Amino acid sequence: MTSKPWLKNYEPGVPAHIKYPPITIPQLLLDTKERHPQYIATTFNDTDITYGELNAKVNGMAHALKSLGVKKGTHCVLFLPNTPTYVIAYYAVLKIGAVVVNINVGIQGEELVDSLKTSEAKVIISLDVFIQNVYRVIQNTSIGIVIIHSVFGLEKKMKFEGVPTPLIFNDLVAAHPTHEPDWECRPDDPAVLQFTSGSTGRPKAAILTHQTIVANIIQTVEWVNISETGNDAVLCIIPFFHVFGMNACLNLSVYKGYRMILIPHFAWLDLIPLLTIIKKYKPISLPAVPSLWTALLMSPRATKELFLPLLVPVSGGAPLPARIHGQYEELTGRKIYEAYGLSEASSAALFAPYPKGAPPGSIGVPLPDTEARIVDFDTGTKELAPGEVGELTIRGPQIMQGYYGNEALTREVLRDGWLYTGDLARMDDEGFFYLVDRKDDLIITSGFNVYPSIVEGVLVRHPVVKEAAVVGAPDRIRGQAVKAYVVLETDQKADKEDILAFCRDCLPDFKVPRTIHFVDQIPRNPIGKPLRKSLRPEGENQGG
Amino acid sequence: MRELLDELKKKIVTELELMDIRPEDIKDDEAFFQGGLGLASIDLLFLVAVLDNDYGVLIDNKELGEKVFINLTTLAEYIMQNRKR
Repeated sequence: MTSKPWLKNYEPGVPAHIKYPPITIPQLLLDTKERHPQYIATTFNDTDITYGELNAKVNGMAHALKSLGVKKGTHCVLFLPNTPTYVIAYYAVLKIGAVVVNINVGIQGEELVDSLKTSEAKVIISLDVFIQNVYRVIQNTSIGIVIIHSVFGLEKKMKFEGVPTPLIFNDLVAAHPTHEPDWECRPDDPAVLQFTSGSTGRPKAAILTHQTIVANIIQTVEWVNISETGNDAVLCIIPFFHVFGMNACLNLSVYKGYRMILIPHFAWLDLIPLLTIIKKYKPISLPAVPSLWTALLMSPRATKELFLPLLVPVSGGAPLPARIHGQYEELTGRKIYEAYGLSEASSAALFAPYPKGAPPGSIGVPLPDTEARIVDFDTGTKELAPGEVGELTIRGPQIMQGYYGNEALTREVLRDGWLYTGDLARMDDEGFFYLVDRKDDLIITSGFNVYPSIVEGVLVRHPVVKEAAVVGAPDRIRGQAVKAYVVLETDQKADKEDILAFCRDCLPDFKVPRTIHFVDQIPRNPIGKPLRKSLRPEGENQGG
Repeated sequence: MRELLDELKKKIVTELELMDIRPEDIKDDEAFFQGGLGLASIDLLFLVAVLDNDYGVLIDNKELGEKVFINLTTLAEYIMQNRKR
């Protein structure tokens, strides 16, 4: 790489290079607890936990895990939405040197089995509302310890024969001491296995170390330099099991001593009180996906006054439509800042300069110490000139170690220190980057990744379905919607509802097709691979 | 009531961009969530905005949402009783 034209877009005071402290993730919590033990750490259903209380609960859980035989390197699944339980479990697991495995609470059945098997996890921590999904598959995995936070006491109505009986999270915390456990984590240890859908239909887990995650937090903090009043609120809607939520909401908040307003967002009613929550808690930061910004701005109650305290409105997960940028700026006189990231980069790799912003359609410029380049599709070795479209590759301290247990795929995406993102992009003369499309057929719906092959694999298991192809269709609300083309077995009748119900039993809601089209045949290439691009509606792309 | 139900069906299809669903395809008692129309929480946020914008009806807590967003009929009944425009 000969030049870094983006550096001239760095705001005054933002360094091109940072000296990263050699610390672990739980150190962020300990430092904040030492500085501000009375600051509120989490607010959930109007109940507050201070940083002092949080650290004590984390210690209780850490001791409990140790007493159960959890050791340095043990993989512990957090199958949890944004609740205090997640926050406590996350830091407890990390303090004792164990590894957090983040899994989307929406997945179930085979996909959940695959993820649990791939991670080789021994422990799962969840809520009683997910207990049926967990126990339906647990016998096929290496899970030996189940810990649940019991909200409704659902575990009391179940029998546990031949499977581990669930332990109650709060009982474990209460029964163990609150002093610091022996820390067994080091900066270069794996901290998180971050699951992301596999393009081949199998889940893959990015290995993120303490160092890569801490580096990304510090990069972001240096980038967004705001004056704070102390214990400012951050609205945590993006799930912590998603890397964007884990870093932009959870770890960054703990590092800065922010008050995390937790919104679990896994049931259909969860977003109803959102505007009231914003009005009440006046968050200074709101990381969200484009569909949420679109929905928020549609409300007549989305006023300039409402957003006045919001200094850092952030959008990520998919490109934010230009009209939403414009609408927000017209309403508030401020910008929404787009960030580009992925599980393999601990979260953010590119960010719109703060506060001046990026040109419309741009995903910003590389963060400090981060390099980005556009290379040719075929070899991935020839760097392309500004304006040319190629594959976006990224290098920096936040990049993952590799995929857990998958060296072949690691070699494919990590080459000479560069992460090959699979995203097609271009860079302008000024060093701003723009997404154009995906190299593969990934669908991004409401910020969640959906690989067509996973949905197709479910569809063809339905008895009347002979073939299926799944594509992303433009959707004003979600960015893209999952659209399925289905060929029926001979003499079978089309029953859309039945097929959709089958999908709902096997897939999380966001992966269930929004629509199904019955067709006579799926166009395929000579080796039989579906030609999904030929099915995609005209003009469909991901932005740029 | 009939007129409002038909109006709501059109708004739902248009505002939520329900591809391949015609307003007349939606049954009055079809569940919005958990099957039925298969809407998600983000759709609900859009619907909340539509009700506020078009009828002056505010639904701002989960308990009320749970009662109102069962199906089209429960929604229409609540609008009839509480509409400001």
